[in-house]
Amino acid sequence: MQIFFQTLIGGVSLGAVYALVALGFSLVYRTMGLVNFSHGNVVMIGAYMASTFYLTAKLPFALATVIAMAVTGLIGVIIERVLRPLENKDFDLMLIGTIGFGIVLEALATLVWGATGRAVPSPVPAAPLDLFGIKVRTYDLVVLAIAAAATALLMLFLQRTKRGAAMQAVAMDHEAATAVGIHVGRSNAIAFVLGAALAALAGSLVGPLLYVSPTMGGTLGIKGFAGAILGGFGSIPGAIAGGIAIGVLDSFAAGHFQGYSELVTFLVFTILIVIRPTGIFGERTVNRA
Amino acid sequence: MTTTAATTADLTTQGQALTVTGLTVQYGGVRAVDGIDFTVEAGQAVGVIGSNGAGKTSTLKALMGLIPRKLTSLQLGDKDLSRVKARDMVRHGIGYVPEGRHVFAGLPVEKNLLLGAYAKPWNAHTRTAVDEVYELFPVLGEMRHRLAGALSGGQQQMLAIGRALMAQPSVLLLDEPSMGLSPKLVGEIARVLQRLSAQGLTMLLVEQNAKLTFDVTSTCLVMENGKVAMTGTSTELSHDSRVRQIYLGL
Repeated sequence: MQIFFQTLIGGVSLGAVYALVALGFSLVYRTMGLVNFSHGNVVMIGAYMASTFYLTAKLPFALATVIAMAVTGLIGVIIERVLRPLENKDFDLMLIGTIGFGIVLEALATLVWGATGRAVPSPVPAAPLDLFGIKVRTYDLVVLAIAAAATALLMLFLQRTKRGAAMQAVAMDHEAATAVGIHVGRSNAIAFVLGAALAALAGSLVGPLLYVSPTMGGTLGIKGFAGAILGGFGSIPGAIAGGIAIGVLDSFAAGHFQGYSELVTFLVFTILIVIRPTGIFGERTVNRA
Repeated sequence: MTTTAATTADLTTQGQALTVTGLTVQYGGVRAVDGIDFTVEAGQAVGVIGSNGAGKTSTLKALMGLIPRKLTSLQLGDKDLSRVKARDMVRHGIGYVPEGRHVFAGLPVEKNLLLGAYAKPWNAHTRTAVDEVYELFPVLGEMRHRLAGALSGGQQQMLAIGRALMAQPSVLLLDEPSMGLSPKLVGEIARVLQRLSAQGLTMLLVEQNAKLTFDVTSTCLVMENGKVAMTGTSTELSHDSRVRQIYLGL
């Protein structure tokens, strides 16, 4: 039972990180109808930024994370700005453009930080916390709390603010959004910035859990992408549920199948998607002209 | 925005004349709209009728700047709107009700209306305007928390009109508000448009339903192959034997 709960909480915590990655995918997809294939690499850049501010600049972990989110958000602006001229011309090219950006980011990270990667020590004491007789890694709870807070803030922004309503409107109908005076390009840019900032948050949080390296973007991107699909691509609650599901799946698979864990995770994922192709929350299809 | 007490007149601001000259829309080698000119006088309701593919929808989309166009001039009152971007048209007083309604399906009715006033600050006036739309379309008030996508076609049309009114436009452009609606609902939409027109709202109504158009507007253009084939008062045109035969099926 003890092992079961530890595995579960570890999985939920890792899943919370995947959920943040999935949120970035879904946010950009909702607003622009675009799958941002560079998103995993943006997570990696965020992880490097945060770990650099934390380890090299010796800033507190929280501050390092916030600065990393801001700087990485700026990268989001650049990606959107460069791709914007393609939006109404060639959508496929735009998609390929995001793949290109991913490759560029990975190469840049290798140039700047080297190919070997780095380990990030946990910002909180490594001693486990005793929760009703179950020993829990303290950092897992920190990750969960921060991911939950970030998600709540994002939901509040989308549902309670004028800008958030406008972003949702753009996601639903470009033409009508334009007619009521919404700047669609700006709305897309905000989606990219938020997605990139969430990616940086995920990267920062995942640093002490995994190993920060230029190639980590591939793994995290795929897991987050799978989470977004499992939840119903484009759905915000879906991204959270899907991300956590993939994390838990991952965690149990790693416990039982070790080397084959990824195979098992994606096998289960594939079966789930075959059973329910729209994902958990994916009844509504996003219309695109 | 007027600061008078909450009356329905609030939704309809003092109109301004809309003047268009030399409007042309080209899709590849096809001229969907071929250099048309027209004026909608302040407070006037003008109709554009024509069969499918006559260039009616293209005319409105081009006016809004939603599709590439060429024009000699586009004026609202004494303002030149020929270089205004589509997203800024509403800030210059052009309200647009798109063909096929285009409500924000995943958002509640009330949020759809609020977004209609996106270009203005959201304050007490916005609230008043929302209530006025509910007064105009009581069914929207009853369904204010429902998702727009869950409404019937007629209700969505009302919502699309209400959303456009939220910006208190000087001119309202309506694209086929009767599309896909039952005769009863078409009658209901007609009554609302008549009421808005009586309140002095300037509007340009593009329709395949000639009867609705004649009921609502005072002047009409008949479009054929991207050109204005006839103009006249709605009464004249509704008695014209050719119009009766082609557009009213009489």
